[in-house]
Amino acid sequence: MSEVSRRHFLQLGACVVGGACAADALPSLAHAAEGGDITTLRTTLPYPRVKLASIGQLTVGREQLTTYPDQASPVVLAKLGRPAINGVGPDRDIVAFSRRCSHMGGTLSFRPDTATFHCPLHYAFFDAQKGGLLVIGQATDNLPQLELEVDAAGDIFAVGIRGLLYGRQTNVLA
Amino acid sequence: MSSIYHGEDRIPVPPADAERFTTVCSYCIVGCGYKVYKWPLGKEGGPLPHQNALRADYRTQQPEQAGTWISPAMHSVVTERNGRRFNIVVLPDKDCVVNKGNHSIRGGTHGDVLYAPDRPTADRLTHPLLYRGHSRLPTTWDEAIELGARVIKATLDRSGPDAVAMKCFDHGGGGGGFENNWAVGSFFFTGIGTKMASIHNRPAYNSEVFASGDAGIAPLPSAYLDAELADTIVLIGANSHETQSIYFLEHMLPNLGGGTLALKQQLLPGEPHARGKMIIVDPRRTSTVAVAEAHAGKDNVLHLQINNGTDIALLNALSRLIHEQGWHDQDFISRRTNNFSVFQQANLAQSLDEAVRLTGISKVRMMQAAEWIAKPKTSAARRRTLFLYEKGLIWGLKNYENVAAVNDLALLTGSLGKPGTGCGRLGGHQEGYSRPPYPGQRPPINVDEVAVKGGASKVFWVAGCNPVGGTLNAQAFRASLAQRTALVNQALDATSSGTLDDKVAAVMSALDKGGLFLIVQDIYPTETAQYAHLVLPAAQWGEMNLTSINGERRLRLYQKFMDAPGIAEPDWKIMARMAQRLESAYRAEGKAEMAARFSGFTWTSDEDVFRAAAAGVKGAQEDYGDTTYAMLKALGTNGVQTPVQEIQNGMPVGTTRLYMDEKRFTFIPSAWPGFPSQIQALMNDSRYPFWVNNGRANHGWQTLYDDARKPYVMGRAPFPHVEIHPQDARSLEIANGDLIELFNPYGSVSAMAVVTDSNAPGHVFMLFEHPKGWLNSLTTDYVDPTTTIPYYKGTKAGIRKIGPMPGLNEDLTFVPTHQA
Ligand code: SF4
Ligand code: FES
Repeated sequence: MSEVSRRHFLQLGACVVGGACAADALPSLAHAAEGGDITTLRTTLPYPRVKLASIGQLTVGREQLTTYPDQASPVVLAKLGRPAINGVGPDRDIVAFSRRCSHMGGTLSFRPDTATFHCPLHYAFFDAQKGGLLVIGQATDNLPQLELEVDAAGDIFAVGIRGLLYGRQTNVLA
Repeated sequence: MSSIYHGEDRIPVPPADAERFTTVCSYCIVGCGYKVYKWPLGKEGGPLPHQNALRADYRTQQPEQAGTWISPAMHSVVTERNGRRFNIVVLPDKDCVVNKGNHSIRGGTHGDVLYAPDRPTADRLTHPLLYRGHSRLPTTWDEAIELGARVIKATLDRSGPDAVAMKCFDHGGGGGGFENNWAVGSFFFTGIGTKMASIHNRPAYNSEVFASGDAGIAPLPSAYLDAELADTIVLIGANSHETQSIYFLEHMLPNLGGGTLALKQQLLPGEPHARGKMIIVDPRRTSTVAVAEAHAGKDNVLHLQINNGTDIALLNALSRLIHEQGWHDQDFISRRTNNFSVFQQANLAQSLDEAVRLTGISKVRMMQAAEWIAKPKTSAARRRTLFLYEKGLIWGLKNYENVAAVNDLALLTGSLGKPGTGCGRLGGHQEGYSRPPYPGQRPPINVDEVAVKGGASKVFWVAGCNPVGGTLNAQAFRASLAQRTALVNQALDATSSGTLDDKVAAVMSALDKGGLFLIVQDIYPTETAQYAHLVLPAAQWGEMNLTSINGERRLRLYQKFMDAPGIAEPDWKIMARMAQRLESAYRAEGKAEMAARFSGFTWTSDEDVFRAAAAGVKGAQEDYGDTTYAMLKALGTNGVQTPVQEIQNGMPVGTTRLYMDEKRFTFIPSAWPGFPSQIQALMNDSRYPFWVNNGRANHGWQTLYDDARKPYVMGRAPFPHVEIHPQDARSLEIANGDLIELFNPYGSVSAMAVVTDSNAPGHVFMLFEHPKGWLNSLTTDYVDPTTTIPYYKGTKAGIRKIGPMPGLNEDLTFVPTHQA
C-alpha cells in the first residue's frame, strides 16, 4: 500500500484552483498512489546503518532500549506479536520508534497490551501497530518510526527514520 | 500496509535576521501565543546559536519542552503577491503566560494552512466568483460588488430590510476579530437594518448565555490563574482536554497534580490547601476524564455520567443538597444577590428521587459532588470552586434554564469575585464581538425557519460559516437552500444577454417567484458556497492585523505577516466596499437618509476599524477603551486583560478577574422543564433507539475548514466517527472502521464506527462537524423558545451497518481514547 504523503496531497490541492470542487479537494484516505509512491524513505540525510538486535533476542511484549542514529537519540525496538505497519521479520511485527514524544519531547513508555507509547508530560499516546499514529494528544506528527531491514542472518538494522525527531533540526546532527 | 503520514526529516531554521511577528493561535478560545518567523526562500539559519533566530544550538539535541523545536507542520513556504517566496515558521511562544510554549495539535499545525499555491491550501478562494454559465467563474471585485449592490438595493427598496438575511461569524481569532465584526455589524444593522440576522452556526441572533447576562454575570469572569488556585474545578458539558487543550494542560492539570500548592499558599495564606479536585459532568467518559484521573488519581476526579439533556435536574439537585446541608454562602447571598426566594421555590424544589431517575446519577455521587463544591474547608474558610461550562450545557436541552441553573449554583456558593472561583463559559472560538445593536427583539427570530425555509428573505449573505452542515436540522435547510437558489440559477441561465442590467432583472424576477440570492464570503469554497451566486474571497488570520480576546479576556494584536491569496480582502474591506457602493447609489437617487445609513465606511487601515469598534464594547467585559495597536504590539503575546480600566504611562491597565467589587447578581429561576415534543416523539418511537450525543474532537477545529487541508489530520480522520458501545456493536454486527448509517425522520448521515465503551449502551457519540458527514442532518428543529438556541446535543436515531471500508481498520487507530 501507499503512503499518504505530502506529495500526494499536493496533487489533490492542485486540482481545485478556483474552487470548483471543494468536496473533491478533501484528502481522502486515498490509496491512489498504490504501487507508485512506495514506502522508501525520501531523504537527503546520510543515515548510518546500525545493527539494533537479532530477531532471536526479541520476545513479544518486551521492549528493547537503544539509540539511533546517535547516542543522544533514544529509540525503542519491540516485537508486538501482531502485524504492524512497516513491521519487519517473519511476522511483520517488529517495529522501532523514537522514545521522544513528537509533541514536546517527553520520554515515552511502552504498554504491550495496547501496543502504545505513552507520554507522561501531556498524555499523548501513539499506536505502534499503525506506524506510530497519534491515538490522541497534542503532537503534530506521528511518532518518528525507524526504517528497519533484516538480513539473512536475522540481524535487524536501522537504516533511516520517517519523520523529524523531537528537538532536532535534522535527524542526522551536523 | 501504509502509515498515514510522516513529515519531513529535516526543517529549515530561521536565520538570525529573519523578520519576527507576534500572533495568537487562530483557533480556540484559549488563545495560545505564537511567534512567527519569515525569511526569503533559499536562505537558512545555521546550527550555531548566533546563526539562527531562536539562538539555539542545533548541533545538539534540544532538551524536552525547550521551545526551540520546529515541527514540520509549523513550517511552510508561501508565495506573496509579487511572486516572492518566503519560509514561514509559526512557533508556540515560550514567553506567553497562556501556553508557556505549549500548543495543541490544532495550533501546532498552522504551517500547513498558510496559503501556498503548491500545497493543499491551493484551493483558497483567490478571486470573487459569479454564477455564470451553470458554474461559478472568476470575476473582478468591481463586477462582484456592482451586481451584489444592485440586487441588495433593489430588494431593500422593494421589500424592506428584513428581505436581506445574514448568517455571519461573530467571534474572535481567525476569520473574526473586533475589526471584522464591527464592519459586519455596521453594514447589516446600521446600513441594512435587518432583523433577519443569525450568528455562525445558530439559527438566530442571540447570546448563547442570555441567562448569564440576566443574572448580571459576564460570560468570561475568571482568569486562567483561578484554575490553578481552585479547590474544585467543575467542568459541565466540556471536554477540555480536546477542546480547550492548553487551558486544561497548563492551568487545570497542574492544580490537580499538586503543582500549584506553593502558589496557593503564597497568594491565599491563612487557609488549608490541597491539590485541586475535578468534577466532570458529561454523558460520555471522555479523554478529559481519563487524563484528569491519570494525573490526579481517581480519588480526586468525579465523573458524573449524566443522561443526555438532564443537566437542570442535576444542577438543581446539587443546589438542594448544598442548601440542606447548610453549605451555602449566606453572607454572599445576602450582600450580593437578589431574587433568592424565587430560586428557592423553583430550583430547590427539585425532587432528589426524580433527579436520580432522570440523570442516572446516584444520590451518593451527587452528595460527593455537593461536598467537593461547597463543604467548607474550615469554619472560616469556604471552598473555592470554579464552575466552567461549555456546549454540552449551552446546546443542551433548554439553553436558558441550563445556563441559569449553573449560575444559580455559583451564586448559592458565593463562587464569584474571589481568587480560585468563578462561573463562566470555557468558550469555543475566541471572542471579538463589537457591533452596533441588533435591531430585533428577544427572543430573536429563527432565521432558518422564517427567512430561509419560510421565504421571508430574498437575499442571504453567509460569511465565515458553513450552515449547510453546521445548522440544526441541516438536511431540511439544504433542501430549502437548493430549491430556492436553483430558481435564481435558472433565471440567470435563461438570460441570453450579457449585460448586468439583464442579470439583475433576471435575479429580481426569480426572487419574486420565491428564489433566494445567495452571497457566500469565505476563505475556502465551502459546501455552502456550492449553492452561491456570488462568492467573495476573504483574507485569513495572518493576512490582516486583527485583535481578539481569549477565555480570560486577554486582548492581543494578531499581526499580519503575509499577503492574502489572489485579490482576497479582509472581511471589513469587503463590507466597506459594498456599503460605499450602496451609499453612492442612494446618493445618486437623492435619497440622503438611506445614503447616510451606508456612510462611515471610510476606514483605511485595520487599526481604523479597531478604533471605531471601541464604541461597540463600552462597558462590556471586552471594553478596551483607548488601547492602540502600538500598545498591543509592545505587549506582545501577553497583551492585556480587558476591561481596560485606564491608560497609564501610555499603556493599558487591565483586569485580572471580574467582580472583585460589590456588584450584585440575580438568581434566575430554572426548574426542570421536561423534554419538548420533538424529542418526546423520537423517544416514543422504537425505530430510533439510540440517543445521539455529539461534540468536537482533539484533532479538528470547527467544520474542519482548515483541517481538511492538513494532511496529518485528514489522514487520521477521513470520515466522521461514531463511538458505539461494544454491546450495541455486537447486536448490529458492527466492527471498528465499518461505515454505518444513522437515520431519523429529520435526515440521515453516514459515519465510521469506533467501538468503545465510552458511552452507556444505547447512547452513541458522533463528531459534530465533518465535511464527509454532517451530524446535524439528524438534529431536530427544536430550539429553546426563550433564546432560539437549538438542542444540538441531543437527538435520537436508528443505526444500520453499511459495511466495511477497505483500509480503514488496517490504517487507522482504534485504541480507546478514554483511557490514559
Ligand atoms: S489550545 Fe486552542 S489556542 Fe491553544 S494551540 Fe490549541 S487550538 Fe490554539
Ligand atoms: S511532550 Fe509528550 S505529550 Fe507533550
